[in-house]
Amino acid sequence: MFEYLSYGDSGFGDELLAGSLLTIELALVSLVVGIFLGLLTAAAKLSKNRFYKAIAHLYTEVVRGIPEMLVVLVVFFGTSVLIQTIAEWFDYSDYIEVNAFVAGVFALGMVFGAFSSEVFRGAFLAVPKGQLEAATACGMSHWQVFHRIRLPQMWRFAIPGLGNLWMVLLKDTSLISIIALDELLRWSKVAAETTKQPFTFYIAAACIYLVLTIFSDVIRNYFETKANRGIAPHA
Amino acid sequence: MSSTAAISITDLHKTFGSNEVLKGVSLLAHPGDVVSILGSSGSGKSTLLRCINLLEIPTSGNISINGEPLKLEKNRYGDLQPVEPKQITKIRSKLSMVFQSFNLWSHMTIIENIIEAPIHVLKKNKAQAIEEAMKLLNKVGIAEKAHCYPGELSGGQQQRVAIARALAMEPDALLFDEPTSALDPELVNEVLQVMRQLANEGRTMIVVTHEMGFAREVSDQVIFLHEGKIEEQGTPDKVFDNPDSERFKQFLSSGL
Repeated sequence: MFEYLSYGDSGFGDELLAGSLLTIELALVSLVVGIFLGLLTAAAKLSKNRFYKAIAHLYTEVVRGIPEMLVVLVVFFGTSVLIQTIAEWFDYSDYIEVNAFVAGVFALGMVFGAFSSEVFRGAFLAVPKGQLEAATACGMSHWQVFHRIRLPQMWRFAIPGLGNLWMVLLKDTSLISIIALDELLRWSKVAAETTKQPFTFYIAAACIYLVLTIFSDVIRNYFETKANRGIAPHA
Repeated sequence: MSSTAAISITDLHKTFGSNEVLKGVSLLAHPGDVVSILGSSGSGKSTLLRCINLLEIPTSGNISINGEPLKLEKNRYGDLQPVEPKQITKIRSKLSMVFQSFNLWSHMTIIENIIEAPIHVLKKNKAQAIEEAMKLLNKVGIAEKAHCYPGELSGGQQQRVAIARALAMEPDALLFDEPTSALDPELVNEVLQVMRQLANEGRTMIVVTHEMGFAREVSDQVIFLHEGKIEEQGTPDKVFDNPDSERFKQFLSSGL
């Protein structure tokens, strides 16, 4: 069984490794995009501007209401239709291929952004009002109150929820295999079909996902401790 | 009196929705005065204090700090709003506030709490801010806790830190919003002791409090608010020994 997993021409070890790295890369880039979208959406939901609020709620409702796999397909084929249409306005009719990685990041980032906006919104509201008032009373500007007092304290309420969403994101990267991106699950499938050893390769893939999520938990713990400094010193 | 009033308020009104909390309150505090504001809950005393440093914008009335009138204008909804937002932050930095629930920033150590606004609002350099902060911590008797977090301190210690944080802004006046009401009885005295010391130094202080003994001992002027109006006002001797108002007599005899 292990010869199939060996590194080099005879086994699929190197392919699985490459697939794992792409999975990690995809998840991390999507996380950055997703956190950015999530913060922006949370800010819009908390703003007084009705238009921003409406847009933010519409985005969250739509993306949360559609299966992740469909979001991936819609983004992938949607962008390719969009780009093709725009290209045709400029009399360019050759087929333009949408980069699967970029489409994947965009789709996963959108999903993460929609879910995390609620985590961020709750976390912003959880920062004690009195502390914001104390900062205002010292003559700090809105922006200073936000980035010196509210933002740093928001993380301690957000990190547990974000940790969950990260796990979901890490596993959702497997959905990107349907748009032919050579991440972990796709390589496992290729290997399984080539060698007729599906069990071996799917178990191997499962183990790799498990290692990644366990490692993620260690990192989440580190950030959680850091964000809670001074709050629960003995916890 | 010839000196400019530190805080001058005339005919202040504040309405929340249909509820008129302040119904024309006037107040004059000269530099060095200690003014105590008494009243049962719902009398508008906290709202009055919050209007002074503009955490609440009054519905109508005039506020002057050190002779500088706060410029307010009516917006299109008929509510007052500041003409220059910069003036508000400037006034706030000159009036430091101490809250009932301390409101220390829990993600910062004690020393970081104290130097935060001097560095970011007064634009002091860090070394100088730290040096001054340590002096203030010594003054409130808590220097050894400089590198602890607020959560590791007792309520009385936290409130003393909050007072040091307020002093670090080098304010013209200090505003206290029921500074001992959230404390266990045995911790009240350590905070009052610090406040007594500040009063003796000639600091201008407006104190909303339930501590009658303290009000009587340190105040130059005592104000009793009832349902948004000043019901009794004067020197502590006059107010406590010869009150005109029946309500204030009841308030005193109720033991609060």
